[in-house]
Amino acid sequence: MTGERSRTKLWRLLSTPHRSRWLSAGPAAVWLGLLLLAPLTYMVVVSFLSVSEETYQLVWSPTLEAYGSLFNADPVWTAPFVDALLISVFVAVVTTLLCLVTAFPVAYLLARREGRWVRVTFFLVLLPFFTMYLVRAYSWMLVFGKSGVLNTTLQALGLVGGPVGLFTFGLPAIIVGLTHAYFPYMLLSLYASLDGIDMDLVAVARDLGATRVAVVRDVLVPLTLPGMVSGGLFVFVPTLGAFVTPDILGAGKIQMIGNFIEGRILGAADLAAGSAAAMFIVVAIVLVFAVVIQVVDPEELGAV
Amino acid sequence: MVGFLWVPLLVMIVLSVSENPSTLVPFEGLTLDHMRAALADRSLLVATFRSVQIATIAAGIATVLGVPASIAIVRHQLPFEGAYRTGLILPMIVPGIVFGVGMLLFVRTVVPGLDTGVFAVILTHSVYGLPFVVLIVTARLYGFDETLEESARDLGAGPLSVFREITLPIIAPAVGAGFLFAWIRSFEDFIRAFFVRGTTDLLTTSMYSMIEYGAAPKMNAISTIILLVVAVALAIAMNVGAVTDLVAGTEAE
Repeated sequence: MTGERSRTKLWRLLSTPHRSRWLSAGPAAVWLGLLLLAPLTYMVVVSFLSVSEETYQLVWSPTLEAYGSLFNADPVWTAPFVDALLISVFVAVVTTLLCLVTAFPVAYLLARREGRWVRVTFFLVLLPFFTMYLVRAYSWMLVFGKSGVLNTTLQALGLVGGPVGLFTFGLPAIIVGLTHAYFPYMLLSLYASLDGIDMDLVAVARDLGATRVAVVRDVLVPLTLPGMVSGGLFVFVPTLGAFVTPDILGAGKIQMIGNFIEGRILGAADLAAGSAAAMFIVVAIVLVFAVVIQVVDPEELGAV
Repeated sequence: MVGFLWVPLLVMIVLSVSENPSTLVPFEGLTLDHMRAALADRSLLVATFRSVQIATIAAGIATVLGVPASIAIVRHQLPFEGAYRTGLILPMIVPGIVFGVGMLLFVRTVVPGLDTGVFAVILTHSVYGLPFVVLIVTARLYGFDETLEESARDLGAGPLSVFREITLPIIAPAVGAGFLFAWIRSFEDFIRAFFVRGTTDLLTTSMYSMIEYGAAPKMNAISTIILLVVAVALAIAMNVGAVTDLVAGTEAE
């Protein structure tokens, strides 16, 4: 019955008066369906298949083998995948918070001040933003490392006796590299949201006796919450799935999910396990969005 | 904080013209040898040219599909409009590694006759560029006086001439900016291309190999050259158009 109804409805929609809207909306919808939704759906399917050990071809019978292989260790938290998952979540959370804390004051100043130096600051912020991601990750590779610029310079100055562990490749280097990579996203999000605020509110709150901390807590933070959340998403989501930065700055010691997936797909030709691991990124992102929508009106996030 | 953004890049720029290309101390003088070596690398130039071609075609497709889609979102009542908008933004949100692996599986095992290679990269990047076109063009359309279109219609213009004479000239800067964004995203993308490129080398994948095999002097040089090109382009763009508004609009509309 509903099929009948929707068919007549569809027919009505396709008939002439609405043709222009289908012609304008249709091609992009088809493109997305074929080249985004179909591949991602197929990936879900592949995650429930297995790969033949002789031919490396997909075996078309449903199984949970791929998921099982991710947790195949005793005890389960020693499995490399679980390790990678936990590290990824940790790195993504820390990076997001670091970006938020460091970008907020800069965005606030940019939104309040005007004139030449604001434009210069924008230029200086946007330039790294438009510079190739790969170049930015690489530039930190020069700075960190046992014989990187930081360690060799500190040693040459006689400040330290040997290479400092904190400045070699590893978790701190990855977090610094990712913070550097996604800081501009947070900054621009916060700026867009702070720029729309009536700054008189801040002045009024101060006149009425609010302390600076209280102004930030009771005025600025509530009003910029949508900006913080959308900025947070723009940092958290790509950080969770990062590959290049942990690859270059982890020196093989640290594996995030992205590196794990790459190893499965390109290293071990295990398409099923790689797809299953990727599902965890997808599910994590869906969960984060579900939580965010509870806190912030999706309309206010604009893009989302 | 802005200093933090710049420290590693400045280190890289200095190293790109230093005799000692791996670290600042001991400093052994300045040289342009690394620059010359990078510019003389034929395979790197070929890869760069290929990246330029891919970015141009992919951004072209994204623009041709994205502009009508933006008009549909802003001007027409669409069923499932929320889902449609979300779908158009999705390529920007889906992490590169997920999209790259998905496309790899898809072109390898699903689509007959299609395999990894330049064509697969173009398809992938054409999808990746869509959100950037749509976000910028819809922002422009929302802030546009619709009575202009109505008056043209009242004066007897047909839908096509309204589009050509009124709508297109007004949204043209946004269309250009959208194309440019999609172009940059394609040109600088590594992870998606990495999975679907097959054995073809693009600029980013060649650079990645340089990092992996420790070709630091050349990598410093090519990175610095890219940074300079971007700096010049950005300085021009900021003086010509409202880049900051566009960018802020893209990220958090």
